[in-house]
Amino acid sequence: MAEQYLNTESDILIIGAGGAGMRAALAASDAGLKVTVVSKSLLGKAHTVMAEGGIAASLGNVDPKDNWQAHFGDIIEEGVYISNWRMAEILAKEAPQRVYELERYGALFDRTPDGRILQRAFGGHSYRRLCHVGDRTGLEIIRTLEDQVIHRQNVKIIDELYITSLLKKDGKVIGAIGLKMDKGEFHCFKAKAVVLATGGCGRVYKITSNSWESTGDGLGLAYRVGAKLQDMEMIQFHPTGMVYPPGVKGLLVTEGVRGEGGILYNSKMERFMERYSPQKKELDARDVVARANYAEIQEGRGTEHGGVYLDISYKGADFVKQKLPSMYMQFMEFAGVDITKEKMEVAPTTHYQMGGVRVDPDTGMTDVKGLFAAGEIACGLHGANRLGGNSLADILVFGKRTGEGATDYAKTAELVEVREEDIQNEISRVLSFLKPDGINAYDLIDELTSTMSDNVGIVREPDRLNIALAKILELKEKYPKVSAPGGRKYNHGLLAAMELSNMLVATEAIVRSAIMRPESRGAHTRKDFPKKDRAWLKNILCSDVGGEMKLDTEPVPTIPAELMELVKQEVY
Amino acid sequence: MISNDPKQKTNRAMTRLIPSEFLELNWRVGTFILMIVLGIYLMMIYPMTDQVNGLIDPFYSPTVLILPFIGLFRLTCYAYRKDYHRHIFNHPRACEIGFRAETKGREYTGETRLFRIENLHRWFMYFAVLILPFFFYDIYLAIVTEGGITLGIVLLGINAIFVTLYTLSCHAVRHLIGGNTDCFSCKHNVRQKLFSGQTKMNLHHETLAWISLTMFFLVDLYIRGLQAGVLPNIMLIH
Amino acid sequence: MEEKIILNIYRQDPSIEQKGQLQKFEVPYVDGMVVLDAVRYVQEKLDTTLAIRWNCKAAKCGSCSAEINGMPRLMCKTRVDTVGHNITVTPMGAFPLIKDLVTDVGENWEILRKIPKFTPREDMESPWKMQQMDVERSKEFRKCIECFLCQDVCHVIREHSTPYFGPRHVVKAASMDMHPLDSEDRSRMLDQVGGLGFCNITKCCQDVCPEHIHITDNAIIQEKERAVDNFYDPLARLIKRKKTKERSVA
Repeated sequence: MAEQYLNTESDILIIGAGGAGMRAALAASDAGLKVTVVSKSLLGKAHTVMAEGGIAASLGNVDPKDNWQAHFGDIIEEGVYISNWRMAEILAKEAPQRVYELERYGALFDRTPDGRILQRAFGGHSYRRLCHVGDRTGLEIIRTLEDQVIHRQNVKIIDELYITSLLKKDGKVIGAIGLKMDKGEFHCFKAKAVVLATGGCGRVYKITSNSWESTGDGLGLAYRVGAKLQDMEMIQFHPTGMVYPPGVKGLLVTEGVRGEGGILYNSKMERFMERYSPQKKELDARDVVARANYAEIQEGRGTEHGGVYLDISYKGADFVKQKLPSMYMQFMEFAGVDITKEKMEVAPTTHYQMGGVRVDPDTGMTDVKGLFAAGEIACGLHGANRLGGNSLADILVFGKRTGEGATDYAKTAELVEVREEDIQNEISRVLSFLKPDGINAYDLIDELTSTMSDNVGIVREPDRLNIALAKILELKEKYPKVSAPGGRKYNHGLLAAMELSNMLVATEAIVRSAIMRPESRGAHTRKDFPKKDRAWLKNILCSDVGGEMKLDTEPVPTIPAELMELVKQEVY
Repeated sequence: MISNDPKQKTNRAMTRLIPSEFLELNWRVGTFILMIVLGIYLMMIYPMTDQVNGLIDPFYSPTVLILPFIGLFRLTCYAYRKDYHRHIFNHPRACEIGFRAETKGREYTGETRLFRIENLHRWFMYFAVLILPFFFYDIYLAIVTEGGITLGIVLLGINAIFVTLYTLSCHAVRHLIGGNTDCFSCKHNVRQKLFSGQTKMNLHHETLAWISLTMFFLVDLYIRGLQAGVLPNIMLIH
Repeated sequence: MEEKIILNIYRQDPSIEQKGQLQKFEVPYVDGMVVLDAVRYVQEKLDTTLAIRWNCKAAKCGSCSAEINGMPRLMCKTRVDTVGHNITVTPMGAFPLIKDLVTDVGENWEILRKIPKFTPREDMESPWKMQQMDVERSKEFRKCIECFLCQDVCHVIREHSTPYFGPRHVVKAASMDMHPLDSEDRSRMLDQVGGLGFCNITKCCQDVCPEHIHITDNAIIQEKERAVDNFYDPLARLIKRKKTKERSVA
């Protein structure tokens, strides 16, 4: 018997309601298009709320010398020269406009004494550049965009809906099928353009700062319809995650702590960053600090719970409570540590995927017609290492750009009829997981995430990468046996079974790309190739060829001469 | 369904006016009303005619006739409102969900109907502020009459301080000195300082409310004790 | 022997079952664990059909609201060692149940839609200037993570049927009303449409707020006082009108 489902037609379907998704929705709504936004979690709970430190934009309010050229230079240099220059240029130029626009939408940033937006220092930025709202900047962005989006008549929001697959016809993406979890109903979305704003895949690691949502769903969806994944080996480890108690291991300690003057010590009370980075010390780029923390712990100078110390207490209680209120609360309530008096224990934690779906810098279109991507899921801007604060700038700048790109595309495209058979096939594929006996998806996810954390961490070795790859392939073999008991309504077991396939795509791409790149660049450090290699000024691309993952390389697009002048020459 | 029956009409008018808490049988409300009636009755049959050892009873400062307004000031105070809505009217009985059974299914009208009077708190506050000087004037009078500081005068002093703190830490004061503006920097720098200072007091409004109320009764009892000759009036500084 | 804790979790699928019941699970205790860790252990290892909602596990998203031993709390923020080793977890009672611990909080978006969005003054020069001291008041309300625990504990929302929007929504309105450059006054609509008078300031919302927002003192009472300005205090209204006039002339 044919399964029932609900139909929704719109000009643009946006998958994901984080900052990028909502900003794209606003752009399309401004153009008068009918927009549907779907999200896996409740509205307003997206991973964006976890962003703490601030949004990078060269307003020059605190350091008047700052400008977009300097921001551009920082992105390219700290991305170790494999960023897409055009995306970096767009971001550096447009971030200030997006910040002021956000203010007009109602966001309240912290202020300078003369009343302008206050900016704080952050690792890798040559000037104080991060506009912030205490240490809750992401939350403020989400609330502000949410306030705008829910008041738009032409935007429909459907939350707690998991997209199980994209629909493609004649080489174009024409819609998607999803399961509304709280009702247990299937939905079929027809749209002229589809925007992926699904965030990253941080949850493929055991120790991670990422939300439940970040399972790389967009990677799987895009990869399966033929989009190319780029720079997947570049996984950012944040230098400071909590280590104790075990329940919160990996939870983020904002870079804002170091931005406001936090100092790192090892168990011998040595300020070790003076050795690793005599100039920038704690405020060097994340890859440098993360490797330093990792090395100190590996070499036996770690703390009781396997971390290093981070100290902000010397700044005084009032300062800490005003500048870092949620950090104060986080340590007080989870660990029972008063950071105004004691040192924090921190260790690196999985934080961000620099890689993702390859997109056109100006419009956000992927390699597949009709499919767009913005935010963490899209790739190219951050190269081999993301600067703190650039992700929030990224979601607003490219959220808007992609929304506009999709709008332009949708204006010339048409709604395409979906074959009933395709819908029914997809629904039965999803329902086929609902069996009482079989493998529990969570067991496989446990194996996968442990493997990734143990073998594909900050410093990578070929043997261990191969172990990880073998494990991933083994889990892929086992995957068809995965099942979930229970019904379709709010069944996280069923959801985990579907997420696992996306996590397998993500991890395979990470590990294969990591094996392929025989050098150390940015976030990718190979023990057997400790140096950078000029020959690898390339991006690695993964694509689906007949069910197998195929890897290619492409040279990094050449930076035009006038922009090259803004960047320091790369040194090998 | 709207009925045209005149009897039901008056019923509706009544229920639109009287808060539902008073329309149900509740021993707490009954006891509370009884206590107030008893208090007024006692004050009427045992009035304080004149000062005792130079001390004027706080209930009679400056005259017992203003007592209803002071009573209304306290009754419409945000701190007392929390307490009597919770503990007398049982809306809700506690924040814990398990203790809520009693309030379930009861009619509830909150601060609508007659309780709209809560919105006049500000006017009673104006009045309460106006009579604050009388409490201090009474102390002055007592010192002059006695030619020194007695235990009773100290008690009057403490009472006056708490009444003042309580009155000035009121939420309506908070609103008027700063709460009603969104832009302190637009030439209201002083108001910002006042506001944040008052906010610190306001945080303890509930505590101050109860301390000062208790003081009122203690001082009243002390003076009545003096009048009856059962309590000594100790001279502290001559 | 490893230490265990006992969890009693509410189970019900209202589309199938008339009544729910508590199901008992035993979970190994880990040092420093929070209730969400224990509930996730059950969901992942013991019974994957248990419906739970969680996301960030860091008290930043407000997804895992539930009632723990009869108190509305975030599961991710409640350490097991503060609530004992025999824990009862039930869904939020003020909202319609979807399944097990998951409730339908969708009505809140409908209310949020009724609150006018941020409406900046028109006479502003770009870029805007604001002083930190003016930003601070509204900033408190922006800490709200929309966990809706305040809505859950509020007896007006939970036990009675009134037009009252609820604490979260007064906080939302206050966050915009106290924005130094906002030109709307939402206290009028809160009083007339949002049932502000049904709040009897009993402060349970303030007690359960995981972000420690002074909901009653700083948002609700302030909005009530602004409503008094508009409807019960002709003097304040007169002064206010004069000020608005001055501003529009300027």
